[in-house]
Amino acid sequence: MQLFKKLNLIATSSILTIGIAHAAEPTPADWFNAGHQTVVNAKHLSRNNGHAKNVILFIGDGMGISTITASRIYDGQTKGGHGEENSLSFEKLPYLALSKTYSVDQQTPDSAPTMTAMVTGVKTIGDSLSVNQYVAHSEKDAKVIDANKLSTILEQAKQHGLSAGIVSTARITHATPAATYAHTANRDWEGDSDKLAGATVPDIASQLVDFNVNGGINVALGGGRTRFIPNTVTDPEYGVAGKRKDGRNLTVDWTTKHTNAHYVWDQAGFDAIDPNTTDHLLGLFEPSHVHYEADRVAHDKSGEPSLTQMTTKAISILKKNDNGYFLMVEGGRIDHAHHSGNAYRALTETQQFAAAVKAAIDATDPEETLIIVTADHSHVFTIGGYPQRGNPILGLTQGVGATKPDLDMLGLPYTTLNYANGTGYTGASNAQPEGSKTFSFPATAAWASGSEGHNPTSFSPATGRPTLDSAKVEDANYLQEAIIPLSSETHAAEDVAIFAGGPKAHLFHGIVEQNVIYHVMADALGFNDEEHSESDKD
Amino acid sequence: MKISDCLKIVMTVSFMAFSLSSFAESVSDSNPPLMEVACRYEMKVTRITKPKSSITNAWFFWRTPNIIQTQDADGDHGEIWERTANGSIQYRKLYHTDKTAVEYMPTDMPTNNMSFDWFKLSGMMSKEELNTLKMIKIKRVLGRSAELRKGEINGQAVEVLWLPNENLSANIIKKDKINRMELRLIEITPLSLAVKQPIAIGDINNYRQIDAADFGDMENDPFVKKLMSAEGHHHH
Ligand SMILES: [Zn+2]
Repeated sequence: MQLFKKLNLIATSSILTIGIAHAAEPTPADWFNAGHQTVVNAKHLSRNNGHAKNVILFIGDGMGISTITASRIYDGQTKGGHGEENSLSFEKLPYLALSKTYSVDQQTPDSAPTMTAMVTGVKTIGDSLSVNQYVAHSEKDAKVIDANKLSTILEQAKQHGLSAGIVSTARITHATPAATYAHTANRDWEGDSDKLAGATVPDIASQLVDFNVNGGINVALGGGRTRFIPNTVTDPEYGVAGKRKDGRNLTVDWTTKHTNAHYVWDQAGFDAIDPNTTDHLLGLFEPSHVHYEADRVAHDKSGEPSLTQMTTKAISILKKNDNGYFLMVEGGRIDHAHHSGNAYRALTETQQFAAAVKAAIDATDPEETLIIVTADHSHVFTIGGYPQRGNPILGLTQGVGATKPDLDMLGLPYTTLNYANGTGYTGASNAQPEGSKTFSFPATAAWASGSEGHNPTSFSPATGRPTLDSAKVEDANYLQEAIIPLSSETHAAEDVAIFAGGPKAHLFHGIVEQNVIYHVMADALGFNDEEHSESDKD
Repeated sequence: MKISDCLKIVMTVSFMAFSLSSFAESVSDSNPPLMEVACRYEMKVTRITKPKSSITNAWFFWRTPNIIQTQDADGDHGEIWERTANGSIQYRKLYHTDKTAVEYMPTDMPTNNMSFDWFKLSGMMSKEELNTLKMIKIKRVLGRSAELRKGEINGQAVEVLWLPNENLSANIIKKDKINRMELRLIEITPLSLAVKQPIAIGDINNYRQIDAADFGDMENDPFVKKLMSAEGHHHH
């Protein structure tokens, strides 16, 4: 009887996690037992107070809680379930806290001060990367930057003899990855040609390659090639000119200054890398950001690795160091998809991000590796109405027992996912006519000549709402309706989640300031513990 | 206000871009290089449903074998398409007063195509479209031989005066239920003889370069701020 009961509980909890459409609908007893089992499991959770050998920090850029919920449902529905019962890989990590994301001068922050808080333990002002709040925005003087720079967890990891890596789907010089290795008071100074005249502070790309602590950065994988290549050299994939004016080819500098170093720019080069014989890998797979996961395989000219493949390769290179490693992995384009007002790409980016976390969990030992999954800030993305269980998350809201979509007070159907502001406003824009907006609009828009999304510079007031149907709103390129017309959808100020597992993960609890994330990582790695540092030297 | 709003929508969509309505495979290598020309066009957009209204603007068009550049008559805004050695196209919007170029990366193209139809970009009509239209008669335009072709493309009535020696549209008239758009060639000269020359590539490459995908994170940037609010204000 006891044994049967236990088996029954396991079956129930798996019913609740694998998707109800795959199994019999849970009975009231199943719900009760599964809930009870969660408590039993929690009682058996044991805190790991040991030091972490490795830390992996995952950042879903702009991955607010509504994005996680919607992605969980989307992911579950693509697997054939109702969706709501599904869990993304990182949702199964045992510890959770909420993070307050405001910066020293912003109620709603950008990625620069938020990542600075996470990797240095100190909040700073908007657009600043790992320099304190006393440095003026766009400070040109390298001496001022140097005097006010904040030491990062990546620099400290290198100082302690660990290996270090950064992986992103954005440009590797973009704010989130850059905060781990660069110090500057303007996040946009990614290449030397981006700086103000007379600025002596080095550009971000050169700071990555010139990073000199203990042999330099070991792995840097992402986009952003043109800021590494001089304007006299053309891009290997597209033939466009590089953007550096100082004549440096940083991809060459990378391989000449490091030992066992490689530079790759396409899938074939990436696949050919042997982690066992590579100690320094620079991979830059696009001139700017890499492809959205939704477009990656079908669109890319030369092929490029997924976030999961980059994460796996990074771990296999870094783990050769017996002292351990620090790795930062960013799902950088969740943010871009939201700015474009396109939920489909935001959800599929998040789905790929969750796959990358799963690959890291599978490739590491939870006894010695602290894994943290969080976001830098949220977006104004909402899940509304009263859709019935299993209603397509990208679809029209249809209530419990209803056979047709619910109607608003104008008699029109509406979607479950919407944005509070942005490009999906239904008034006519300078780029698309009155009505629903789409990510691609090849018929008449200027940007049909090669740009992304709907980038309006003006809107006219909407008259009422458009008439929607399922085919239109479930299309990959549909832009969900936005209340306030803006050229770009914005970040949001509410708290984001911190998921954690591994040594010292239990230190995440309650609602914390975002900069606490650094302090947990530093504690787990033993950087704050003088005694530990001393004993390490013996 | 409604009318001006509506026309504005049409007007701010440049006719160049309007003609780029579909992507196609790269032009085959067998095409001879196109004649280098400098042109001035006028475009008139008329709303034919009530309330009727119309608006006209002028712009410059410069063509070399691998670069096409346009510029509004006011000289502030332009666009540039560059065909690289491996057939990719780099597309940038140009803001000359701000010395800024906004780049639209091929990565972010929402459709599954790698390159533009360079022939269409260079002449404002694709070969397929020209073949769809019925040849009516040979005429002369600005001293050059021109084919008058008529027909329907994507539900729009289209009339084109095509310069076969230059591989270039002289006039295009497109009409649907709401708008009538007329593009008219005002002036054409060999590029080397043109009084008004395009902005040099070297100068454009010295402009500040911004990826359009970054606009959402540049809310405090003075240029992006101005760009995103300017057009919204001046017609209200
Ligand atoms: Zn953003």
